[in-house]
Amino acid sequence: MDPKKIKSALKDITAEKDPTIKSVKLASLCTSLWAERGVKLVVVGGSAIEILTEGAYASGDIDFCHASKANLPVRERQEVMGLLGAKGGPRNWQVGGMFVDILGPLETFARTGFRHIDAPYGQVLLVAPEELLVERVLVSVYPEKDQDAEDCAKKFIAAVLDGYIAMDWNEVCRIANLPEYRNLSEVEKIVGEVADERKIKNPLHPD
Amino acid sequence: MNAKSKIPCIPIEGSISYEDWLKGRRARRESGERVAPKIIRRKSSSSDKRLKKLFKGERGLPFTPTEKL
Repeated sequence: MDPKKIKSALKDITAEKDPTIKSVKLASLCTSLWAERGVKLVVVGGSAIEILTEGAYASGDIDFCHASKANLPVRERQEVMGLLGAKGGPRNWQVGGMFVDILGPLETFARTGFRHIDAPYGQVLLVAPEELLVERVLVSVYPEKDQDAEDCAKKFIAAVLDGYIAMDWNEVCRIANLPEYRNLSEVEKIVGEVADERKIKNPLHPD
Repeated sequence: MNAKSKIPCIPIEGSISYEDWLKGRRARRESGERVAPKIIRRKSSSSDKRLKKLFKGERGLPFTPTEKL
């Protein structure tokens, strides 16, 4: 990416006051710069849920994993983030008025693909919502009840049931049945609760 | 596209444009607000020290009110 374009993007991102727009713009800039060096970054966890749901859940950091086999070498990571005037490293940086964390290789069991947003500085990739939901439901129950995670999962389900996020429910069930999660009953319960509350057909019990 | 409201849906295949993603923000927020409290940002995490330093005692920038989305 042209240095002038990077500078202009960074100025825009730094001035942005809306936390979710700021995240999307910064994610698109980081994703583009890392992609130029052969590494595919994917937004994960609460950061991805926030971009999908507007749930007022995320804090001032954005979490990425890399979906390519290898990460950038430490030196190159520092160089690329240096282009953005970032402070810190080599796995987390302060940049543009928020924090960027590169957590490591992506762990995913989803067969559905990433979701894509054509954002101002390039495409943003979000980890599959099917697995994000199953993961959030797991965190809401284990190792102990977590009300914030439960509220986050409910907001997520509501936006899906209202038709604003496309979800493959068969894939949700398959992932929740995997030995890695084993939480299908909890997923069914919370989806049922939200469907009942919203008086919307339950996609896991269509009859 | 959501048939009822004409709000763009984030699709499984392909990509959503930035403009369509922006258009759907309010509707997505409002969906969630019908089933859980408005703000559900965690009160604490292992990142508190750096977050509170950057965001003047908070854990991030304030969320844009729903009516302004």
